[in-house]
Amino acid sequence: MGSRDLRHKESVYALVDCNNFFVSCERAFQPGLEGRPVVVLSNNDGCVVARSNESKAMGIKMGTPFFKVKYLVDQGKLVVRSSNYTLYGDLSARVMSLLSEVAPKLEVYSIDEAFMNMDGVPDSDLPGICRELIVKIRRWTGIPVSIGIARTKTLGKVANHFAKKYKGYKGVCVIDTDEKMHKALSLTPIGDVWGIGWRGTPKLKALGVETALDFVSRPREWVHERMGIVGVRTWSELQGIRMVEEEKEEKRKSICTSRSFASMIDDLDELTQRVSDFAGKCAEKLRKEGTAAGTVGVFIHTNRFREDLEQYYPNASIHLEVPANSTPEIVGAALKALKLVYRPGFEYKRAGVIVADIVDADSIQQTLFGFDSSARDRDDRISKVMDMVNTSGKNVLRLGTQRGGHYADGIRREFCSGLYTTSWSDLIEVR
Amino acid sequence: MPDDKPTVHAGFPSPAQDYMNTFIDLNKELVRHPAATFYARVVGDSMVDAGVEDGDVLVVDKSMEPQEGDMAVCFIDGEFALKYISYKDPAGDSGKSRKVPKPGVSYDILEHRKMWLLPANEKYPPIEVTESNDFTVWGVVTYVIKKVCTRL
Repeated sequence: MGSRDLRHKESVYALVDCNNFFVSCERAFQPGLEGRPVVVLSNNDGCVVARSNESKAMGIKMGTPFFKVKYLVDQGKLVVRSSNYTLYGDLSARVMSLLSEVAPKLEVYSIDEAFMNMDGVPDSDLPGICRELIVKIRRWTGIPVSIGIARTKTLGKVANHFAKKYKGYKGVCVIDTDEKMHKALSLTPIGDVWGIGWRGTPKLKALGVETALDFVSRPREWVHERMGIVGVRTWSELQGIRMVEEEKEEKRKSICTSRSFASMIDDLDELTQRVSDFAGKCAEKLRKEGTAAGTVGVFIHTNRFREDLEQYYPNASIHLEVPANSTPEIVGAALKALKLVYRPGFEYKRAGVIVADIVDADSIQQTLFGFDSSARDRDDRISKVMDMVNTSGKNVLRLGTQRGGHYADGIRREFCSGLYTTSWSDLIEVR
Repeated sequence: MPDDKPTVHAGFPSPAQDYMNTFIDLNKELVRHPAATFYARVVGDSMVDAGVEDGDVLVVDKSMEPQEGDMAVCFIDGEFALKYISYKDPAGDSGKSRKVPKPGVSYDILEHRKMWLLPANEKYPPIEVTESNDFTVWGVVTYVIKKVCTRL
């Protein structure tokens, strides 16, 4: 590290991260949960995916299976909620819209995180703008956020971590000098650095790298030899040298929709309905990101914990002549695959649909033979109407074989809060 | 679904074409701050004298600073309560203790740290908010949506 004065560099990022986002969403509509230990569970109420500071302090770890903390809930020491992604998504959109009013350029990184590219905003104004923003977002949406300001995204993440950890920052931490950078890096365990992750951490620790400062103190060649260009990128970014370019909306390579059933299913009709729903979901996701899939796969699993029962784990894929994203085509292919693998006499516990070979929907080249383009046009139109209606939250429009996800024994959501912002019949009640 | 821009193939353009996209959008009229606007359903009769009845839907704006006389969704000791907000002691108002304050009455939040929640129903007493209460003004009510036609 030289003695560069980072203040003279032209670019700056503010990383905004919602504090314990899912928990904060629950609290926004149940202010009584403020200050109490709260956890939010994964789909199907499986394990802990979000924790309030209070439940973190109780030693509850991310990913803890629900049954291990259930006694705390029974004793009234812990509040539990099923995940309510509809609600979280709505609140996320509200937060992001407030950020976009301030940021010249906004990159939404995840449901609860965004990078504001603040190039061109005078450095001296930044902390003030960010503090006002924190107050405003909290007031308007109920969501507390923290902001880390630095020259690079990776360093912004470090700054954000400090803003969250230490109350004194009042939610905004700025790393704008070599001195502050040095201090921050020395206090940051290498495992907390964005881009190092759980794979890189043990390796680096074995080589004597404990903190982010240890890491940047190594020569560039040392890093390049062991971690390649990706490591060099992190190494540079940590020193305030911008490397991570704004990523274009990355297209996924495959999309999977799968669920475990609350009770086992052996009936083909029943499985047909589930698989149709999963396939419909996949098609919806494809259309949302403007892509189409060339392959549709289906898997069904028996219950591997029931050693007393016969096990069967088949899967099959259907290759589409032309990549598709319409609900009828994806569902049709999925059901073809299901029929290939289904065998009666087994108790199935889980099923899923995977769509792969994903391409841009615009770039699809039509084959000359054996492709009925008028049927395709009709399918596309059907899908568009379905998307418009289904965005209202309830799957009111669907194909004959789909059932719409509301199974009596479907996803377990025993502790779910209401759809307060998206359903007229689920509004908060005031007396 | 009609397209945004209808195409006219022959003859004269319709004089109405320029006006095709204007319609009254209730979202635009009733929601000034979309990111801060939420809806709530009224349960009970604590505000009947203000015309707010069981089953009505409230448009609630969390961005607005609560002022004297505002109707607000308050959170007090574990429950959402719909009340008028007042910074003046209702008992001190020459005996008319449960009078509903009119919006726009002069107020001074900074000097009067005390706050009262006033129902609009003789049956219920005003509530003085003290430090012992778990209290927050959740949002200011901007509009009330009431179903009038019972056939719907």
